[in-house]
Order: sequence, then C-alpha cells, then structure tokens
Amino acid sequence: MRKQVLTIAVALSGGPVLSQEGHAEKMKEGIALFQKTIRPALIDNCLKCHGDEKVRSGLDLSTRNLLLEGGDSEDAIDLEKPGESYLLTLIRHEEEDLEMPPKKDKLPDSLIADFEKWIALGAPYDKPLLERKGERPAEMRVTDSDREFWSFKPLAKVAPPKAGGKWVKGEIDQFVAEKLQQNNLLPNSQATDRDRIRRAYLSVIGLPPTADQLKAALSMSHVDLVDELLASPHYGERWARHWLDAARFAESHGFEQDYNRKYAYHYRDFVIKALNANMPWDEFVRLQVAGDEIDPENPLAMMATGFLGAGVFPTQLTEKEFESARYDELDDMAATTGTAMLGLTIGCARCHDHKFDPIPVKDYYRFVANFTTTIRSEIDVNLDSEEYQLALKEWQVRDAQSMDARAAFEANPKLVNLFERWLKTDARSSVTQSEWMNLDVKSAVSSHKATKLKQQAEGAILAVGAAGAKEIYTVKSAPPSGMMRFLRVEALTDSSMKRKGPGRASNGNFALSNLKLLAVSRDGEKRELKLVGAKATHQQNKSNLSVASSIDGNFDGTGWAVDSGGIGKDQAAVFELEKATKLNSGEMLEVELRFSNNTQHSLGRFRLSVSGNPAPSVRVGGGKDSAISAALEALAKGTLDEKQRKVLFQQYLISIPEWVELDAAVRNSLGTKPKPSVTKVQVTSEGFKPTKHHADGRGFPHFYPETHFLSRGDPNQKKGVANAGFLQVLINNGKASADWQEQPPAGWKRTSYRRTGLANWMTDVENGAGHLLARVAVNRIWHHHFGRGIVSTPNDFGLQGKLPSHPELLDYMARRFIASGWDVKALHRDIMLSATWQQSSAPSPKKAAADPDNQFLWRFTPRRLEAEIVRDSILSSAGQLDTKMYGPGTLDERHRRRSIYFMIKRSRLVPMMQIFDQPEPLSSQGSRPSTTIAPQALLFMNNPQVVSWAGALAASVSSKETDEAIRELYRRTLSRDPTATELRDNRAFIDAQSSSYQGTKNGKQLAYADLCQVIFSLNEFVYLP
Amino acid sequence: MNFPHYTRRHWLQKSGAGLGGLGLASLLADEGLLGTDDPLAPKKGHFGGRAKSVIWLFINGGPSQVDTWDYKPELEKMDGKELEGFDKNTGFFANAVGPLMKSPFEFTPRGECGKMVSSIFPKLGEHVDKMAFIHSGHTESNNHSPALFMMNSGQPRMGLPCVGSWVTYGLGSESRDLPAFVVMSDPLDRGLPKGHAANWGAGFLPSVYQGTWLKPKGDPIDNLNRPKHMSDAQQLRQLALLKKLNGEHIKERPGDAELEARIKSFELAYRMQNAAPEAFDIDREPEHVKKLYGVGEKRCDHFARQCLTARRMVERGVRFVQIYSGGMENQRSWDGHNDIKGNHSQFAGETDTPIAGLLTDLEQRGLLNDTLVIWGGEFGRLPLTQKSKKPGRDHNPHCFTTWMAGGGVKGGVSYGESDEIGHHAAVDKAHVNDIHATILHQLGFNHEKLTYNYNGRRFRLTDVGGKVIKPILA
Repeated sequence: MRKQVLTIAVALSGGPVLSQEGHAEKMKEGIALFQKTIRPALIDNCLKCHGDEKVRSGLDLSTRNLLLEGGDSEDAIDLEKPGESYLLTLIRHEEEDLEMPPKKDKLPDSLIADFEKWIALGAPYDKPLLERKGERPAEMRVTDSDREFWSFKPLAKVAPPKAGGKWVKGEIDQFVAEKLQQNNLLPNSQATDRDRIRRAYLSVIGLPPTADQLKAALSMSHVDLVDELLASPHYGERWARHWLDAARFAESHGFEQDYNRKYAYHYRDFVIKALNANMPWDEFVRLQVAGDEIDPENPLAMMATGFLGAGVFPTQLTEKEFESARYDELDDMAATTGTAMLGLTIGCARCHDHKFDPIPVKDYYRFVANFTTTIRSEIDVNLDSEEYQLALKEWQVRDAQSMDARAAFEANPKLVNLFERWLKTDARSSVTQSEWMNLDVKSAVSSHKATKLKQQAEGAILAVGAAGAKEIYTVKSAPPSGMMRFLRVEALTDSSMKRKGPGRASNGNFALSNLKLLAVSRDGEKRELKLVGAKATHQQNKSNLSVASSIDGNFDGTGWAVDSGGIGKDQAAVFELEKATKLNSGEMLEVELRFSNNTQHSLGRFRLSVSGNPAPSVRVGGGKDSAISAALEALAKGTLDEKQRKVLFQQYLISIPEWVELDAAVRNSLGTKPKPSVTKVQVTSEGFKPTKHHADGRGFPHFYPETHFLSRGDPNQKKGVANAGFLQVLINNGKASADWQEQPPAGWKRTSYRRTGLANWMTDVENGAGHLLARVAVNRIWHHHFGRGIVSTPNDFGLQGKLPSHPELLDYMARRFIASGWDVKALHRDIMLSATWQQSSAPSPKKAAADPDNQFLWRFTPRRLEAEIVRDSILSSAGQLDTKMYGPGTLDERHRRRSIYFMIKRSRLVPMMQIFDQPEPLSSQGSRPSTTIAPQALLFMNNPQVVSWAGALAASVSSKETDEAIRELYRRTLSRDPTATELRDNRAFIDAQSSSYQGTKNGKQLAYADLCQVIFSLNEFVYLP
Repeated sequence: MNFPHYTRRHWLQKSGAGLGGLGLASLLADEGLLGTDDPLAPKKGHFGGRAKSVIWLFINGGPSQVDTWDYKPELEKMDGKELEGFDKNTGFFANAVGPLMKSPFEFTPRGECGKMVSSIFPKLGEHVDKMAFIHSGHTESNNHSPALFMMNSGQPRMGLPCVGSWVTYGLGSESRDLPAFVVMSDPLDRGLPKGHAANWGAGFLPSVYQGTWLKPKGDPIDNLNRPKHMSDAQQLRQLALLKKLNGEHIKERPGDAELEARIKSFELAYRMQNAAPEAFDIDREPEHVKKLYGVGEKRCDHFARQCLTARRMVERGVRFVQIYSGGMENQRSWDGHNDIKGNHSQFAGETDTPIAGLLTDLEQRGLLNDTLVIWGGEFGRLPLTQKSKKPGRDHNPHCFTTWMAGGGVKGGVSYGESDEIGHHAAVDKAHVNDIHATILHQLGFNHEKLTYNYNGRRFRLTDVGGKVIKPILA
C-alpha cells in the first residue's frame, strides 16, 4: 500500500516523467550536487549496507528508482516536502537507535544540508552507484568484514591499563579508573561497612542480613564474606531468577486453556542446583541445549532441557494451524537460544535476511533445523540413578548368593538319593492329599477389553488394566481328576488394588453378582452344573451382598461383597454342587464370574479350586495343584515322568527345614530389591512420547521430519529442505558446520545428535561462538551487579544493540572467565572484590551532570530491589521465611517460601510480582524495568500478606521496652540502629498509635505492626544501598 | 495493575525513542516533568488526535456479520443450497458443514441513513447514524485465541502488547487515581476470553502498561481497602511517619528523583484508595441514568453496570476500557456453533440496551466526541449452517463486521463490502492491522512511528502492515 501511495506522490510532484517548468535546470543543478558531494557520501557511508553487500531495512540506494521505492517501513525521501524526508531524519540523528550512518560520527552539517537540497532538486542520479547485471543482490552474503563487528570478533587480548593508583583493588578497577579519568570523573569513596554488607547480602543471596549475620560479617574480611555468601544455597535461588527471565520460563502452555505443565518446575530446580554447584557456564549451556544427549543418565542434564520447551504453545489447534504452530515453536526455541545465550536476535531473520545483523534467512532455517525433531515430553527420570545403580549391583550380588546356596543344596547328590528313597517310602503319606484342588487354568478372559487376566503361580489370576463398569470373567480349566462336590472362589489381595483389594472398586471391594459352573464338551456343548449352597469367610451383609446372593439368579442387584471388615484381606467363598459330578472324558470345566451390580466391582485377584471332600473347610489357601495328585497317581502306577518327578521333588523339599530356610532367604532377598526413586520430568528431547495435546485426536503430529526454508516465514511457501547448521558470522577460520556436528554413538537411536553439534559450536572458543557466549554471560552477571551491563542491551549484542561502555574490560573479563573454566562464582568474586563494586552509592550532582546514567561507574547505582527480593526481604526480616527448597511451586500468595517458588502460570501471573515489574514470561527478557507506581504503595499499605507479616514481626518485639523494641526492629529490617531522631519519631508514633488502639485487644502489638509496615515501606528497606 | 508514576531513567529513554521523531527532552519539558520520569504522565501523540479515550465493546466469541449488521438479501435466496468449492477447514468443525443458511432474523431500515439492521438490536438500531460500519474486516486465524490475540495485539501469537497497552504507552493517562487501561470480563461465571490475561497483557512493554482486569466479584482492584483493624486517622499517622523517615533518608541523597517519586507514590496511593472506589460505585448514579443503561433489568443488568462503569472511567480520564460480552466459547459467548438464533438473541439481548444507553449518555455529556466506541469481536461467522441440534454457524476468519462511533469517525456510513453471501470480505478489504492503524490515528498516532525497541527489533502494533481507513473519518 505504501508503494501505491508513493507512486501517486511522485506523479504529482514531478518525479521521473516530468514536464514541470524549470525542470531541466533543476536536474542539472541536482546532478552537479550529486556528483560533487552526495555520490561520494553515499558510497563512503551508506552503500555497503544499502545496496552492495546488504539491503538493510529493504532500502537500496544503488539507483534512483530503488531509492524512490524506499525501505520496508518508510519512504526514504519525500519529494513534496524534502525537509521531512526520513533519510534526513536519520542522518540528522533525530531518531534514537537509528542514527545513520551507524556507529560512526554524524555527517557534517554542510553535507546534510546538501542532501536536503539535492532531494529538493528531485534527487537525481547521474548513473547508478553500482553497475549490476541482475537487479538486486540475490541474497545476503556473510563476509569477513561482517565478522569485524566488535561482538563477533575474537576476544581481544588486553592488559589492564595502568590507572587508578591506590584506589585500585583489582584489574577491573584499572579499566574502570581509566574510563573515569578520560571523562574527568573520580570514583566515590568506599561504602560504609553496613552498606557493603547489606549490599553483598541482597546482591548474592537476595535476603538482608539478620542482626547476628551482620554482627559476624562486621568482624570478617570482605573476601570471607563474599565466599560465605556464594556458598549459601540461597545464592542459587537468587541468581536462578535472573536466568529464568532470560529463559522465558513458565509452567503452563499459555494460549486458550493455559494448561499447567506440572513437571516443568524441574528446570527451575536445575538452574538453582547448577548455580549452587558452580557448574561451569559452558556446561550449563550445553546441558540446556542437549543434556539429553550429552549426559542422558544424569537427571539434572535431563531437567536442563526444560529450557528449550519452556515457551508458549497453543492448546487448541485446527488442522490449518498444525504446521505453522510447529514453526512458531521452533522459532521460539531458536530465538530464545539465540537471545539468552548468544545475545543475538536470530528470530528476526525468519521472514527475511536480518535487517541489521549479518544473519541471512538461510542461516535462520539451518539454525532452526537443529531442533527439527525436538519436542516436549514428560518422562520418568530416576533421580538417584548413581546411588540406585550401586545399590542394585550390591543387591544382585546378595541375591545371587542366596539363589546359589539354595541351588547347591538341591543339587547335593546325597539329597537326591534321599529323595529317591522318600519316593519309594514316604511320598504318598507325607504329601497331604488336599481337600482343595486348584483348577488347572487353560484360559481366562474378561468381557471388558481393557482388562487382561494374567495367570500367576499357584493358580492365582490377576486382573490388570482399567476396570470396566461391568465385566464377566470366563475361566476355562482342564478337567479335575476325581469327583467334584464343591467349588471355591478365593478373593485375594494384591498391592495393585486400592487398599490392596481384593476388589477393583475405588474402595477395594468387589461384588460377585453371579457365579456359574459349566461342563463343556469337545464340540462346545455346555451343561450347567448347578450350585446350591454357599458359605464364605466374610460377607458384607446377610442380604443383597451375602455370599448366597451370588447364586440367587439376580444378576444386577445382588452379589457377594466383602466390605465392612473384609477389605485388605484374603477371602474365600465355597459353593456346593447340586450333584457330585465327575466330568466326562473330553469335557472341560468353565467358570463364569459376573460383576454387574455395582460399577467397577470386579475381582482384582482370585483363585478357583474344587473339592471332592464331602465337607471341606471354608478357608483361604491350602489348595494343591492338580499336578501333584496327578504325579502321585503316576507314582502309584509306576509311570512317573520327569516333569511329575520335579513336582514331587518340590513337595519333598518343603519337608526339609534346612531347605525351607534357604528358600526363605531367596524370598526375602526379593523383598529387599532396591526401587529407583522415579519422578516425572518435563524434558525437551527427541524420540519420547510427546506431551499429550488437545489436537492429538485431530492427528496433530507434534513435529515434522524435516525443516524447510520458508519464503516470508510462510509454511505454505517451502523452498527446499534446510539441513542443520550454524550461523556463518560466528564460524571462523574457514570451518564449516560439519566440523562440530556429531553422529550418534553406535546403538543410539532415540535422538539425532543435532543439538549436540549445536552445543559444540556454541561453546567452541577456537572457531565457534564461544567468545560471544562468554561475552554475553559476563555481561549478564555484570548487569545484575551494577544495574546496567557493560553492554546495556544484554539481550542484543548485534548491530542494533548498544556498544559496550568498557569494551576492553568486557573482553578482559570474558577471556579470564574462559580461562578459569567458565567459573561463575570466581567471576562474582572478581566483581565484588573490586573497588568499583565497593564504592558508596552517594549521589553527586556534579558527577551526575557529566554522567547521569553512571555508565562510567563513578558510584554504585542504588536501585529498587526486584519483586522477589522485596517480598523475600519482608518475609525474612519478619522471621517468616520458609527455607524449604525445590519441588512444585504454588500460586497461593500466602505461601512463605522464597518467591522463586511461585508457580508461573501464564494466565495467572502473581499480582504481587507483576506489580514490581516481574516480566511476562513470553519471550526472553534481559533486563527488567524498574517502575514506581502507586499500586506498589497500596500493596505496602493494604496488602493482607504484608499486614500479616508485619504483625508477625511485631509480635516478636512488642513485649520489649519501647526503645529496645524499636532498636531491634531496625536491626532486623535495616541492619542498623535507629538515629536519635528516628528513635524519637518512632517512639512518638508507638505512643500515639497505641493510645489510639486503647480498648482494642492487643492494641500495643497492633501499633508495632503498623510501625513494621512503615519500615517495610521505607525507601531504605527496598533499595540496594 | 498500573497507574501513575515514575520509572528509571534508562527505561524512559527507551520510551522516548519509541515515540519516533518526538524528542524526549521537549516532551518532558512540555509537561514540566523533567527528572520525574513518569511512565504514565499524559503525553501527546504525533499529531492532534480526535479521540482521547477508547471504549471497546468486545463481542467475544465471534459475532455473525450476516445476522447483525451486514444485510445479505442474496443469502435469503440461496438458503438451503450447498456452497460449491467450500473449504471444509475454514471453520473449526470440518465435519459439521451444512448448506447456506439465511439469517433467522428480520432486517429493517433504521435511522436517517436507513441502515438495514437485524431485529436483535431494537435499541442500538436507533444509533446507526452515529456509527461507521466496516463490513470488510478479515483476520488470520479461524481459532479463538489466535484470533483474539490478533484483534488485541495485531499478531495471532501470544506475547505482544495489546492495543490498550500501546495507547497508554503512547499517551499516558489523564487519570491519577485510576488505572489507565481497564478490562472488564463476564461477571456471570461464564469464563474469560480464550487466552485469558494475554488479551490485555503488555507483552514486552513495561508491565505498567498492561490492562487492569477488574475482578468481577468482590473488590475490583487489589489492595484498595485499608486493613480492617485500622482507622483512617491511624493510617494517616503511618503515612506521616513514613514521609518523615523517608525525608530523613533522602536528605543524604538530594536530587534522587526515583526516591522522591517513591515518596510521592504513597500520597497518590492514599488518594487512589479514596477515589477509585467512588469511581466504581455506580450506585451514585441517578435512577434515570441507571435506567437508561438497563441497570436492574434481569437479562442485561450485568452488562449495563459495566457500560456505566466504562462511562465513569472515561469521564475520569481513563484512557482505554475494554468490556467483554460473554465468557469463553460455545454457548457461553457469541460463539454460536449451536443454535445461532438462540445464541445471538440472548447475547444481543444482554447488550442492546446497555450499549444504546452508553451511546446516548456519552453524547448527552459531550463525551462522545472524545471517546472512540468500538463494537467488534475476533472474527465473523460463516453464512453456512453448522449442523447441530439447532442450526449454528462456525468461525469465519475471512469476513467480519465491526463498527466505530464517536471519537472523530463519521456516523451513518459503511466502509467496504463482503461478497453477496457474506462469506469473504470483497470490496475495500480491511485487515485487522488497518483497524488498528485507524484506532491509533484517531488517537493522534502515525501507527508506523509508535514503536518500541525490544531484543533488537523495533516493534509496532501494526507489524509491517496497516493503513488508516480514511473514508470513515469525519
């Protein structure tokens, strides 16, 4: 549309086709001016980025027609109102952050005046600035000159300048002193001990010192204090929050339903643990990008991958949106990796070559392709894998020992001889003929498909899978030998059921609605063997849930159940056959158990047996396998085969106390097998089952096997497959992406190892992105210490970012950082031990006039504490802080753990955090604004939590004498004693407020609570000194 | 929540840059605010805007254009016919596509302009001479939340600043006692619009610019009530002590604007604590005004109260008010998949009197000139039947109708046309970016220059598109 408007404007004002009066003279004058000043100026200052190597912002100056087309967002020149041309706005430096030419001095005023005049003359060209055969350059080329931009260059090797004299405490100070000197500034003097200590506490662990801690710190060297604080577990809780901003971390999907990601908190815990363990920064980065490949057995490495999948994702998708949603997700992974780790706005190259940085659109898709098959999954992770593996090994040794002992005993030839003798003499008498014979089950099925009936040892049957509302179990067995007079159903417990069962109902009960016994002939003909009498070890009542009701012919209303004292115990019911029966040859036995008088009231584990005994006991157990009686029969007939022999050998062994003991050892050993401590973790990996999604039913594939180059970011305009690769501008010394890429090790199938290659490149300090990675990390840490980075745009180290205020210092520290093995705590230490960090924050109008933003660090910049630290400081001062670490968070504003344990649900961000500028977790945030708004004041004045914490603090001092109570409050909250004036003012307040509460219960304590609220509200309390 | 006041200097520079060619220093000098860094101080746009504030009646769920304002006689003739070549994936339910369906409502000419209006708007029909209709709206998603994000933030993605945030970022607030950007959602337990708070989020803009959601039940804003145990005098004594102690502290730090601002913020907070509940208390309105909006009428009482609150807000200088009609999807909002007739009758019934009352009231008070009223949802609906127990209509991203009134737009005009059955925008198509460009224009902004620098990119509400719909401007 712009282009159309422009065409009209040109036509009206006399552009190319003109018949205006004086036109020829104007053109002549214009061309003369062009040749004299404009052309050289354009070639020297503009053409490289606007027509030659690049066409930044879509503006090409190489020909007049292209100039008239303008850039992406603006017309470059306005022939009607030449003075208002955008090009002039930019070269006059009237548009912040878009000063042209960039990173160079402003053009001389006379030249700018020439530009205006030239535009007024119609902006004529004598000839194009570039002779080109084709039209525009086809695509962006990344050249060595692009790698000359400061942040893409290798880290400079710099020696600290000799500056600063006695003020200097470390190398950092020498760099800072030099800059101060150059700007005619002097550093502030050292902060007071109290300010230094309070600053150290709040900076490192995010909590003010308690009175005792303050006292201890006062008699401690600064180094010791810094080391002590860096060793505190609270350090990780404080600094993890900074990284979580950059990682756009949250625990829900966002979008329509904003479903919770229940297991996402592990990533937060990973960051805390990694920082506390002082994990080297390159490792920290590698694990977040590819921990699932680099160290899959390490639970922390798996948790680290939560980084990639922490972004938003729609919860509802139509078919049309599947692919574009996936490209959005890939973009989120790539963009966040780029911004948070490399300070590069890679995402800007999705639709076109990056407008400012040397990132061609092709580089973008190659970078994205590293994540092609990467998805969010929820997997079981063994938290103590090492410990578990060790314990398992130990157990296996013990277990093998007991098995071996038993086997050795059984194999003893003497024993074998004794067994042979026993067979001949005692077998028949010592193997008790049981009254109950377990059925020899051939098949067992349920009418409900999800239920599987599994046969276990000793004739038991276990039901697994989800129980159906109503079910019928059909069990078929070989014909029992001999006469059948009774059928027994044993209802058995198992830990797979609620309250161990024996039923599958939610209370562990079952209800056997009907029981049928059938004889089935070889050709499938069935005859029912009618059951007439019933007895049980326990029945729920004597009517509708009695054992007799299982054979009352009423299917859906009645049946044997065992609640009211019978749950969690084995039970048995015995049913009498109307006629004693022996099956005809070829007949099978079939038992049908129906569960239909209550929902999901089927048996969870059971056993069926029959008895020929005229009056068998009603009890659980004691059933013998039919195999035993068959073996005894065979023994009598002299036809004992090897299998039957083994059956009898088992019977023999039971009679030997020695063996029973050995056998018990084996069984006990099984009970002591170590169990892994498993937890569900949200990971971002490949090859695991994707996290469930609403659109699964519509066939949402979660990912596509290939990433394509897209035209203008549109999945409907694919331009070929993009192979994984890295950013050319950060590939040095003639290397190629393949130099970092890895093949999966032999036998590894689950993931592609593409991200391992990415991690290799990102952390390579020789030829890859390692130097930039270090710069960005050092700058982030500096940023959080001083409130402003050496690069004040911590998320953008590209051409649109700010230039470093102390480039040599940044490179020096980054180099040192790499040399130290990416030691983060050492970096903190360097910074905090510097005189620069230890300066007082005292203002100075004179210095502020020279450097209002304190970019040269003439003082420590005082600033308001972040949302989390405001809240944590109140909780801690009030003695209310719950220091429990890790685990699921909460949305409840009343909780008393550190604020990092608030659950971050995208649709329900915690108001108390938001109000103090905690950012929305939608994309990477490098720095928080720090606003002062009235609702913050309202929170201090009226918020129920603040009021209650003030009350708790008050309760701990209100019984003291007034002055002492006030002193104690000051020490606990502000780490100092009140001045005489303050003491007087506070005392006056307590007196007046107490008397105004006269007659109110706890009036005095309320007065103190009101005072505590005032103290929490003080500037001094919420500002880093 | 977010109202007045101050921010750090480095941030303000960013904001200055965002205002395009406007120099920060001059801006602050004009306001006499140098050194105080107030992110919500009233600011000027790029040029004099016709409107000072906006009330957006968000017709949540996707109102059907052919059953409301876009009269389609041709559709009546084609009732019951299959639409050949229809892409079944246009709406949400590919398996429930039925034949073309005429509107179940009668249309009659209304106002002096004779605009054909559906019978579900008996009262609103009286105001067509104030309205500028855009019949050629189209958007980029057929799914609620991306379409809601599109309509609210200019892109079908989560995480970008909403129109209200951009506007308060650009113009600040006229009110010291109330939030600059206020959102009201359905108070009848029918849920929040899909995507919840992201529909009024500030994205990467500082959180002071996010919409303040007025809780539909209980206190509308957090922390507005003094602790129960405390009297006004007791709280004032607290504040006096706080001022005194902070005063001692700042003596050592003269000229620190941030600390000064923080001291002031407690005074402002105290004022707000008194003023805000008054502003929300519609019971202070005279009976005839309440009646005008339909307060007390069973089916529309809830929306009437919200419309009346909206007027009280803009009257007090609130910059941007959004009211959602309806809750989440299906029968809980205008999302008439099932029974379009019953659905739209119900929700029109809930809003007809209140919106008509709002327009009348704004006009009578002379507020309509300065207040841009917008009626519209996230997309339109298909002219086809969605097969259901009772016939419904599925989502249609290709065409919707929206209207604006007041705030410098012409009345009784229509811009753009849909095709003869209301399926696609056909003539003078208006993209969501165009609607946003027009809103910003009425408030005094060149939409291409209202930008914010974030992670290396200058973002704007209209992304890379947007043209002002000039023909509807007075």
